[in-house]
Amino acid sequence: MTPGELLHRLSGSLRSQIGPAVGDEYTRTQAFMASVILERLSKQVELQSAHGEAERADMIALCAQLDPVLALAPDQVRADLESAVSTCRLDDLGPLIDSLYEPEVEPELRDAALGLLRPVLRRDIDRRMAIAT
Amino acid sequence: MSDSTATDEAGLTAVIAEYLTEKLEVDGVVSIEDLTRIAVGWSHETWLFDAVWTDAAGTQRRGMCLRRDPGNALLRETSDLAQQFRVLRCLEATQVPAPKVFWYEPDSVSLGGPAIIMEKVAGECPSPWRRAGREFYAAAADRGVLPLSFTDSLAAIHNVDWAAAGLDFLGVPAGGDDFAQSEIRKWRELIEASGHSGHPILNDLIGWLETNAPTTDRLTLVHGAFRTGNVLIHEDRVSAVLDWELQVIGDPMYDVAYMLTALNRQDTELLSNVVPRQLFVERYESATGITIDEDRCRYYQLLYAMRSAAFWMSAAGLYADGSNTDLRLARTEWSVTVALEQAAQELGY
Repeated sequence: MTPGELLHRLSGSLRSQIGPAVGDEYTRTQAFMASVILERLSKQVELQSAHGEAERADMIALCAQLDPVLALAPDQVRADLESAVSTCRLDDLGPLIDSLYEPEVEPELRDAALGLLRPVLRRDIDRRMAIAT
Repeated sequence: MSDSTATDEAGLTAVIAEYLTEKLEVDGVVSIEDLTRIAVGWSHETWLFDAVWTDAAGTQRRGMCLRRDPGNALLRETSDLAQQFRVLRCLEATQVPAPKVFWYEPDSVSLGGPAIIMEKVAGECPSPWRRAGREFYAAAADRGVLPLSFTDSLAAIHNVDWAAAGLDFLGVPAGGDDFAQSEIRKWRELIEASGHSGHPILNDLIGWLETNAPTTDRLTLVHGAFRTGNVLIHEDRVSAVLDWELQVIGDPMYDVAYMLTALNRQDTELLSNVVPRQLFVERYESATGITIDEDRCRYYQLLYAMRSAAFWMSAAGLYADGSNTDLRLARTEWSVTVALEQAAQELGY
């Protein structure tokens, strides 16, 4: 049994056996919430490896595309791009996006960069939604 | 003094009885009957009860409501009972249906936490997130009275002369885009206080909101969460607008956007599950003289996406930092994802 399968089974026990046997309403609700949380964690554990690989592939391709587009961008934008490249983590794109919205960045440059960033963010949130719902 | 940290019904009954005996200045004692906790939510506690006492005219019974700050509630950074009390007192001289407030206690000595005691208003508040609630609102929509009363209540809020009512203590935005920018700042502070790591979509959303903030040409009192579930309904009419936790002086389109959003209805085209859109637009514009601006409403729907993300981050943070053990808060970690997905949609991706 994988850790994900174990969490899934624990979730089912809380939902179908433990929760219904609890008399107190608040505590019963907590049992059902715990079931929901364990189910989410089960999905997260099961999908973690595949999602991690997909994120890394997206980030490598994105950084390669952004590099020429932002070649003449202000220094802070370049620094934030290099930081994201070095970690290759999607969560580290936040400072780069913040920099793109600074007034000194030309709107055309911002739009071009966001045009590359947003499909990657879309795929990431889709992966997260597969766990959240 | 009774147990001032009372959290159980028996303890709280004694605490309230002692408090009201002093406040009502009656001979003998005030007894508390039918104490019931409602809205077991994430914000302030709400308790309903009847206060009963005897005076020269005989036995008196008055329905009351206690709202109490448990100290670890959601939105504790942005909403406090002192402000709610002051707002409700200001609204007493207006056309807005709202509960009459009696007393505010700022400390924890008297009632076990900062608290307001107000009148108990007749009515019910079915949850629009449950099937029974949606059936209630659908039936009321068919009868036709509640959609009018619901719209009129929002119009009444926007028609309040907020300066004359003394509501300028809420803070009055400067001209231009100051209202939108101040809301962004408020929700950004909540996000930062949550300790949540966030997501780049949130950076994109906030950047877009700051860059595209609309100017506001008319300032009104704004409720901030006007929808079914936040109003009491009695005989098909709004008997009281509740949840005065997010009110500001600002752009009335902020409330209108909340009415128009699909997020506040389920399995129906009726706004907030109860009002036909055309009826709302015509009656609201007629009652307020304000023309609904669809572009600004779309902007504020994006601002609501940021607010939702901030709410859920704050809720998840309360569990994560150990200040609240309610597992419903832990679950909101994934509600953040849903809010961000909504934001991405609203931004067009």
